[in-house]
Amino acid sequence: MDDRPRNGKLSDRTKAALIQWSLVLVFSGLAVLFIVNPWRQSHLLYPIPLVDKSFLDPAPNRRSYADFVRTKDEDALSDFDCYACHENGKPPTLRYDAQQHLIIPREHSDIVMGHGEQGRNNNCFNCHDENNLTLLQTRDGRFLKFQDSPQLCGSCHGPTYEDWEAGVHGRMSGYWDHSLGPYTRLPCVNCHNPHSPRFQGRKPAPGPHLLHEPASAPVVAATH
Amino acid sequence: MPLPDASLHPDETPAAAGMSRRSFLRTSAVLTTGLAALASSLRPLLELDDYTTVQRFMQKYYKEMTPADMAKVLKRIEDEVQKQYGIRPHVRDLKPMDGVQFVYCLNLTRCIGCRKCVHACVAENNQSRNPEIQYIRVLRMPHGSLDLDKADHDYAPPTVPEKGYFYMPVQCQQCKNPPCVKVCPVHATWQETDGITVIDYDWCIGCRYCEAACPYWARRFNFTKPEIPKDRLNPEMAYLGNRPRRQGVMEKCHFCIQRSRAGRMPACHDVCPAGARKFGNVLDPNSEVSYILRNKRVFIQLKEELGTSPRFFYYFDV
Amino acid sequence: MIRATRNYLVFLRRCFAIAFVGDWRYYLWMGALTVLVLLGLNAYAKQLVHGLIVTGMSDQVSWGVYIANFTFLVGVAAAAVMMVIPVYIYDNEELHDLVIFGELLAVAAILMCLAFVTVDLGRPDRFWHLIPGLGVLNFPASMLSWDVIVLNGYLLLNLHICGYLLYCRYQDKKPAKWFYIPFVFVAIVWAVSIHTVTAFLYVGLGGRPFWNSSIVGPRFLASAFTAGPALIILALQIIRRITEYHITNKALLTLRAIVQVSMLINVFLLACEVFKEFYSGDLQVASTRYLYLGFHGYHALVPWIWTAIVFNLTAMFLLVLPLSRSLRWLNLTCVLCIVGIWIEKGMGLVIPGFIPTPLGQIVEYRPSLNETLVCIGIWAFGLLCYTVFLRMAVPIMQGRLARANEDLPAGELGPVAQAASQHS
Repeated sequence: MDDRPRNGKLSDRTKAALIQWSLVLVFSGLAVLFIVNPWRQSHLLYPIPLVDKSFLDPAPNRRSYADFVRTKDEDALSDFDCYACHENGKPPTLRYDAQQHLIIPREHSDIVMGHGEQGRNNNCFNCHDENNLTLLQTRDGRFLKFQDSPQLCGSCHGPTYEDWEAGVHGRMSGYWDHSLGPYTRLPCVNCHNPHSPRFQGRKPAPGPHLLHEPASAPVVAATH
Repeated sequence: MPLPDASLHPDETPAAAGMSRRSFLRTSAVLTTGLAALASSLRPLLELDDYTTVQRFMQKYYKEMTPADMAKVLKRIEDEVQKQYGIRPHVRDLKPMDGVQFVYCLNLTRCIGCRKCVHACVAENNQSRNPEIQYIRVLRMPHGSLDLDKADHDYAPPTVPEKGYFYMPVQCQQCKNPPCVKVCPVHATWQETDGITVIDYDWCIGCRYCEAACPYWARRFNFTKPEIPKDRLNPEMAYLGNRPRRQGVMEKCHFCIQRSRAGRMPACHDVCPAGARKFGNVLDPNSEVSYILRNKRVFIQLKEELGTSPRFFYYFDV
Repeated sequence: MIRATRNYLVFLRRCFAIAFVGDWRYYLWMGALTVLVLLGLNAYAKQLVHGLIVTGMSDQVSWGVYIANFTFLVGVAAAAVMMVIPVYIYDNEELHDLVIFGELLAVAAILMCLAFVTVDLGRPDRFWHLIPGLGVLNFPASMLSWDVIVLNGYLLLNLHICGYLLYCRYQDKKPAKWFYIPFVFVAIVWAVSIHTVTAFLYVGLGGRPFWNSSIVGPRFLASAFTAGPALIILALQIIRRITEYHITNKALLTLRAIVQVSMLINVFLLACEVFKEFYSGDLQVASTRYLYLGFHGYHALVPWIWTAIVFNLTAMFLLVLPLSRSLRWLNLTCVLCIVGIWIEKGMGLVIPGFIPTPLGQIVEYRPSLNETLVCIGIWAFGLLCYTVFLRMAVPIMQGRLARANEDLPAGELGPVAQAASQHS
C-alpha cells in the first residue's frame, strides 16, 4: 500500500494503475478504429477486359463450296459459275512473266498463288480441268466435283490425307462417341486456301493476367 | 479467516492487499473496453454474406451421397445459380461411362499459339473473369528444347505462329498416378474410372496442398469470390464440372466433364482452328487417339520421369 | 469423487484468476499483446470476408508466411523436447524443474501452429472434414493427414504431462510415475515425428525439385533443435529475472551445448545442400539459384537468405568459442540463431519451392499488410498463451499457489518481485 513516490519515481502500484487506465484508452480507441475502419481495401482487383467474342468462335477459318451450297450463298456461288465469263469448250490461256511467275488475270485478282515452295505449283491446270472448269482433275486422271476436293489434295499429300481420313489431321468436332451424336470432319479447304494453303498468322488472344498487379518489372528483362 | 501461510510475504496477507473499489473499477474498465475492442475487431464479418448455410455446412461427401441426397443438392445449386445470375441452369451428376478411358493427344506441329482454347475453356466452364482463372496455359517454347525454364507465358506478338518457336498448351494431365489425389487430406479430389481427376467443390477445405503437389501447375484456387458475367454464363452444368465455384476452393480442368460424359468433345478441342487437339477413348481401337498412339512416332509425356503417367500425349507430325 | 472434482475446478478457477493479476510490467506486456491480437483478429476477419486475395499469395506462390511460420513453429514445439531428453534419459538435475517451461512452450507453439494452419485454409468452416469418423481423412496417403494427427496428439500429450505435474505440485502430492513417465518418453519420439512429418509434407512432392530432396528432413530437425533451445534459453532468463525462479547458469549452459551441436550440424547440412545444387551444374537448380543469386532479374529473396547465412555462421562461431559462455554473448547468439533459422526455414524454404513454377514462370511473393497483421496477431496470441501458462506455472512450482492457501484471492499472491518491492 506504499503509494509514496520513492526517489522521485512512481511506485509500482501507481505505474500499474496508469497502465491499466492507458489500456482502457487504447482499447476504446481500437474499438472506434475498428468500427470506423479507415483502411478500406477497395482495390483488391484491377480491371481485366473481357475477351473479344471472336476468340470464342469455333467456326473454321474458311468456308467451302459445300458451305456455300448449304447456305445458298448466291454471291459466293457466282464465283463458281465459270462459264458465265469463260467460253465453253475453249481452255483459258495461262500467261507468265519473265521470272516464270504466273500472271493472275484482273478478274481473279483475289487469288494469290502460293501453293508449294518457290512457286512450283505454278500451273492452274495442275488441279483445275481446263476442258471443264467446273471440275477438278488429279494427276492420275480422276475428275472430281468441288465438294470432293479432299481427294485431289490427297492425291499429292498422301500421309496427311490418311491422317485426315482417320480424323487425326484437322479438327473433327462434335461427339467423340459417334453413337451418341454427330461429328463433323471438314474438307481441306475449310482451313486451307487451296491457292495458298499455308496457315495464315493471326492475332493471338490476350495472355494471362496475374492475381496481383505487379508493382514493378524485373531489373533485367527476361532473356527468353 | 484462515491464518496466512508462512510462505507468503507479509504484504500478501488478505488484510494488506485487498481489492479496493478503485482497483475493481479499473479492472472492470479494462475488461469491458477490452471486450468491446474484441467485438468491434470482428466488424468486417458483418459483410460476410452467403458464406455458408446450414445445408451447405452439413453437406455430405460426394461419394457418400445417395441419389436422393444428390437430387436435393442439385436442386439447391440450381436455385442458388438462379438467384445469383438470374438464369436457371441445368445441373446434372453425370457418371462415368463403362469401358472408357479418356486420353488427350496434342499435335505440337499444328498448334499456332492462338489461345482460343484457353478462352473457350473459360467460357464453357464458368471460370472467374476477375480475378482471372484459366485452366489452360499456352507456353511458347524455342525450337529444339523442352526445357520449361525457357517457356514464355506472356507472348503477345501481332501474329502467331512466330518463326523459331513452337507452342505447347498445358492443362491438367489427368495423371494415372496423380500426386494431387495422394496429398489431399480430405479426399476432396480423386480419379474416376474414366480417367478424369475430379474435385468435390463442396468438400474441399482450401489448404492448397494439391496446388503445391501438382508438377504441371494445373490446379487453380479461388482467392476471392469468382466473377462470371451474367451474359456469359454457361447453364449446362455438372456437379463435378462447371457449376460455379465459391471463394476458397480449388478447381481445374476436368476434360469438360459435362460434355465428355455426354459423348461430346471438350470445348478446347472444338474451338482449335488448327485441329491440334485430339480427344477420345483410348480403349476404343477405332478412336482418333488410338490411331495416333499406334501410328505416330515420338510422344512426349511431360515430366514422365516423375511417374505421374499423364494422360496427355504431345506429338509432332514433322 | 465429488470432492476431487471440486478441488480440480477450484484449481482451474484459481489458475484462470491469476492470469489477470500482475504488476505493471505484466499489464503492459499483456496489454500490448492483446492490442496486437486484436489487430490480427480484425485483419483475419477481413480475410474471411474477401478471401485469401488479401494476402500476397497467388496460384504461382500458393503458400506464404502463414505456412512459413507454421513450419518454424513446429520445429520450436518439437525442440521443447530437447530439454526432456537430458532430464529423463541422462538424469540431469539442473534442468529437472525447467522441463515444464519447455513443455509449456511446446503447447504455446502448437497452438500457434494450429492457428497458422487455420488462417491459411480457404474454407476454415469445413475443418470438420478432417475429423476421421465425421469427415474423411486421407490417412495414410496424405502427409497433411499425418500432420493433423501428430500435431493434435502432441498437444494432448503435453497438456497432459504439464497439467498433471502442475496439479500434483499444486496439491503438494508426489506425481505417480506411471501416469507421466511413459507419456514423457512417448513425447520424445513424438516430437521428432511431428517435425519429420512436417518435413515430409515438402519432401514428398516430386513436382517441386527444390523440396524433393532427402536432406530436408535432417535439416528440419537440426534447425529446430537449434532455434528451439535458443528460445528456451532466452525464455528461462526472462522467467528468472521477473519471478526470481531458481534457474542456474549451468542449466543454461547445458542448453547452450545442445544449440552448439545442432547449429554445427545445421551449417554442415547447408554446405552439403549448396554443394549438391551448384557443383554439377544441372538444370534443376532454378529455385536454388533464385534464392541465393537471383534468377532472370528476380532477386527479392537474395538479401534475406544471405542475412540468414551470416547470422547462422556468426552464431556458429560464437557458439564454438568460449565467449558465448558469458550470458550477454549467449543471448546475442541465441537471437542470431532464432532469426537466422526463422528466415532460412520460413522464407528460405517455402517461397523458393514455388519460384519458378513447375511451368517455369516466375512470380514473386511479398506478404501484404493484412497478412503480416494476422501473423503478428498469432505470434502475439502465442506469447500471450505462454505468458499465461507461466503466470500459472511459476507460482505453482514455487509453492505460492497451492491447495493449502486456496482461500487466498489471486491478487494476494502476486509475483515475488512485486511483493519484494512493496515490502521495502
